[in-house]
Amino acid sequence: MLKLTVNDVEVEVEEGSTVLHACEEAGVEIPRFCYHDRLSIAGNCRMCLVDMERAPKPIASCAMPAGDGMVIRTDTDRVRKAREGVMEFLLINHPLDCPICDQGGECDLQDQAMGYGLDGSRFSENKRAVNNKYMGPLISTVMTRCIHCTRCVRFATEVAGVPELGAIGRGETMEITTYLEKTLASELSANVIDLCPVGALTSRPYAFTARPWELNKVESVDVMDALGSNIRVDARGAQVMRVLPRLNEDINEEWISDKTRYAIDGLRRQRLDTPFQRGRDGRLHPVSWDEALKSLATALRKAKPKGIAAVAGDQADVESMFALKSLMTRLGSSNIDCRQDGAKIGGKRAGYLFNSTIAGIDDADALLIIGSNPRIEAAVLNARIRRNWLASRMPIGVVGPKIDLTYDADFLGEAPSNLDAIADGNHKFAVKLKKAKRPMIIIGMGAMTRADGAAILGKARRIAEAYGVIANGWNGFNMLHTAAARVGGLDIGFVPGRGAMDIAAMGKAARAGKLDLLWLLGADEIDFDAFSSSFIVYQGHHGDAGAHHADLVLPGAAYTEKDGIYVNTEGRVQYASRAAFPPGDAREDWAIIRAVSGAVGKSIGFDNLAELRDALCAAHPHFADVDQIAPTKWSSFGGRAKLSAEPVTYALSNFYMTCAISRASETMAECVRANGVDSSTAAAAE
Amino acid sequence: MLDFIMQDWILDLGWIVAKIMVVIGPLLIAVAYLTLAERRVIGFMQLRKGPNVVGPFGLFQPFADALKLMAKETILPAGANKVVFMVAPMLTFILSLVAWAVIPFGEGLVIANINVGILYLFAISSLGVYGVIMAGWASNSKYAFLGALRSAAQMVSYEVSMGLVIINVLLCAGSLNLLDIVEAQREMWFALPLLPMFVVFFISTLAETNRAPFDLPEGESELVAGYFVEYSSMSFALFFLGEYANMILMSSMTVILFLGGWLSPIDIWPLNVIPGPLWFIIKIMLVLFVFLWVRATTPRYRYDQLMRLGWKIFLPFSLIYVVLTAGFLLITDRLPAVVLG
Amino acid sequence: MSALVNAVRSFLLLELGKGLFLTLKYFFKPKVTINYPYEKGNLSPRFRGEHALRRYPNGEERCIACKLCEAVCPAQAITIEAEPRDDGSRRTTKYDIDMTKCIYCGFCQEACPVDAIVEGPNFEFATETREELYYDKDKLLANGDRWETEIARNLSADARWR
Repeated sequence: MLKLTVNDVEVEVEEGSTVLHACEEAGVEIPRFCYHDRLSIAGNCRMCLVDMERAPKPIASCAMPAGDGMVIRTDTDRVRKAREGVMEFLLINHPLDCPICDQGGECDLQDQAMGYGLDGSRFSENKRAVNNKYMGPLISTVMTRCIHCTRCVRFATEVAGVPELGAIGRGETMEITTYLEKTLASELSANVIDLCPVGALTSRPYAFTARPWELNKVESVDVMDALGSNIRVDARGAQVMRVLPRLNEDINEEWISDKTRYAIDGLRRQRLDTPFQRGRDGRLHPVSWDEALKSLATALRKAKPKGIAAVAGDQADVESMFALKSLMTRLGSSNIDCRQDGAKIGGKRAGYLFNSTIAGIDDADALLIIGSNPRIEAAVLNARIRRNWLASRMPIGVVGPKIDLTYDADFLGEAPSNLDAIADGNHKFAVKLKKAKRPMIIIGMGAMTRADGAAILGKARRIAEAYGVIANGWNGFNMLHTAAARVGGLDIGFVPGRGAMDIAAMGKAARAGKLDLLWLLGADEIDFDAFSSSFIVYQGHHGDAGAHHADLVLPGAAYTEKDGIYVNTEGRVQYASRAAFPPGDAREDWAIIRAVSGAVGKSIGFDNLAELRDALCAAHPHFADVDQIAPTKWSSFGGRAKLSAEPVTYALSNFYMTCAISRASETMAECVRANGVDSSTAAAAE
Repeated sequence: MLDFIMQDWILDLGWIVAKIMVVIGPLLIAVAYLTLAERRVIGFMQLRKGPNVVGPFGLFQPFADALKLMAKETILPAGANKVVFMVAPMLTFILSLVAWAVIPFGEGLVIANINVGILYLFAISSLGVYGVIMAGWASNSKYAFLGALRSAAQMVSYEVSMGLVIINVLLCAGSLNLLDIVEAQREMWFALPLLPMFVVFFISTLAETNRAPFDLPEGESELVAGYFVEYSSMSFALFFLGEYANMILMSSMTVILFLGGWLSPIDIWPLNVIPGPLWFIIKIMLVLFVFLWVRATTPRYRYDQLMRLGWKIFLPFSLIYVVLTAGFLLITDRLPAVVLG
Repeated sequence: MSALVNAVRSFLLLELGKGLFLTLKYFFKPKVTINYPYEKGNLSPRFRGEHALRRYPNGEERCIACKLCEAVCPAQAITIEAEPRDDGSRRTTKYDIDMTKCIYCGFCQEACPVDAIVEGPNFEFATETREELYYDKDKLLANGDRWETEIARNLSADARWR
């Protein structure tokens, strides 16, 4: 530990810290533009100058390593003057166009000019002007405003792993550019907008539409992937205007993926805002809630309990799944499934969690990825793997097709037999795994949705047990889900009961005409051809495939429109909050299910969300522990059958369109046009 | 047919109706122009011009106001006692007109020359309280009710001292007949020997007619108007007309009791060739001007101050003055024969 | 002694007489009333009347949808919606002022960085219905076009103190 004195306050910081850290430790705010906690140190803005005893001139605190016995002052006239000078220089070429700048009101330069700048300018010459650069459909650029902090360059290079941004020229002619005027090919590209301390890089879909002060800010949880990234939803009136990341060191740090950020414009399109019923003419007609509930109650009464089934989609909240499960139980059916992709998971909790936790990736020293493309299945998680790889160059093996993961990986091949070889120890990657102290396995849905998914899971468990993936204090056996609802659904047991049908069995029964009623809770990605004979009830928020095939549509709420619980791939329970109200007659999903229970006269034991949560927590106590991961015991799971020879694939092929919301989003469609379905395969093809 | 028309009682009735019309017609026009005069006089005293747009010098303004009031909707509050609610303004208006039966406009120019004219006047003006009470009660509104109690108490209080002031005048005049009272002032108006009583009487008429500074019933800003707060349109207009007709009535009473009625101030040419009724009207107008003048000058009394003035100052003062007057007349042996009996 | 003086004073109604004399004096003084529809008083260049959205001399609207007026409006009478225009510039798609909410404080004019929203010299814009007082962008721009000469003159007259 190093001892420093900052403004007469003694502080201790760790070895390797900078003077800036020491100042923060002492509670002194240091203005900065180029310095960022998660990026390398550039030291080029000079805003963080402080006085050091016995130094002839002010030092850049962000780049100066802290030393024992240093005496730092941040309140001297020299520091003040230095800051004013730096600010004046920065403002020389910064245009005074705050009124038309989207950063206005949340701009570091604005704030710091107020706090540390002079009130006027002595510069009377012409300001410079820079041509705007094209950075794709998400980032709008006004490069004249750029103050060359290079945060965006460092982010693209270090975190996103797409070194496509850079600076050309020197001094006044310096420009930040993508060189080739092409889209920034990263799933994390829009984070440069948050990083940009000025309005040089702003959000293109959000351009000019709202001001920060008119937005209603709600802290919530993302459902676009299974990470449960922490987000802040900014809404104006009934409309969600934008989504920003919220700091959570254990999950997303301060990044979110482009889909999380920009799919929200899909919330305004193709919404179900009133119940629909399929008429005699085979078309959906709007009906009132009363009529919809009545006809659903009639259908439920008419159907045999064994002929009723429910499938939860990928974005369902735990409450509505719990309510639906309760209702199905009361109706006498246990044909429920939350795995609409047919993944062979469930049962033992350790078998479907990301056991090492996301933060645990930082500790791994070898990684075996089975049937997962983390770059598009969990882009923020992929950045963590890349950071570890950058620091440790850990060996990474992938069973699956060749892709660009933004870091070097060993593509072991697409054949499942590789797993047999690793398990048997006669595979080149087995050696690397064996050497590792904290090896990690990530299994993706690409492997789990196969017919022999259970067998692969069992094989992976045996590899884990054989190679020390499960060691004292370390559990590197990880399942990477793609659906935000999946772990929550498995936790509350939204899976078929004994002898009941899972999704595949439901399809078979439907083909045989034995499935009377299928209730889809936001499930759009099932094989609807199989269910053409059943009465399909679709409860959801978008007019997507599910509503298209439904006989009765109950309009529900999207994730920004309800208070809900989500469990991320680690098993972390998180509470999302409502930012806006559902459109038209749409209602919160648990309330719809409660209304149906009333209509059929089968009470499910709660009348409001608080009672529902009480019942949920009574049945599954770990849901009461917000932001906590309930500890799980390692046990045996998975099958022992022989692996088929079919090559392993990935679950997702299109990063930008994975759910009803993102499929409805115009911005996501533009991204597909600009980037192709995803940049990892495009780059690998080159 | 002709016989029928020429029957005596019909002729008499027709003659009476004609006389009433001759009085009421001009009276109502006078009321209308009193409102205009009020606005213009007060406007002038506040350096404004007052209404001057409708017609030459704003002369058609009263008619515009009347039209507006008639065009408005008559609102009957849901909880009101409908009959009493509608009767109250009519009563007020009628009472302000019937008193004119005994007012002499000149020598012998009176509709009903009765012996107890002053008692009749006094009785009718006391009845005005009923209209107020009925309005306040029938509105079924706490504001109207409290306002009615307030102005009823006010009107009753000042009637006491007014009665004593009138006794002073009667002592001097020796008759209850208004013609006689005026004739008794041929040598000297009672305003001069009874000056303090004249002042007390005038101030009491202000209170009696609910005029400034005793216009508590109209204190819109601080007391939500008063007994007529629920009234609108023509029913409100009747209250309004009644109030202004009462002002004119009270002015004429002041003129008759203290300012020599239709008599000219001094019996010299050219003053004595001006006909009596004209003098009467000129004097009434002067008194009315003072009404308006006082309104433009004085701020509103507080309720307790108002009561204190009526009961603790005017009442003892006028009581003492009755004794003084009677004593003076007794000592100087000028007491009228009627009084001595 | 002073009690006696006071008693005499109040019994002689001296103060009342003084007051009556004062009002009588004013009765005869010249009147200050302006004969409004035919005569009008002088307006300061800073007079805050009916709102208008101004244009540049080339016809381009000045408003850049910065929403500062909306933010500063204490009565929250202004509603703005904005999006990029076809040429990429920041423009309003909706600029509404609820004139029944407006308190004519002039903050919007003060906040405007481009002198787009101004309170002009017009104060005679009474309407028969409330709806007519919900001004939209077209109405405000039309106001600007109609009053531009006066507005520009007032702004330049006041420019020295701003």
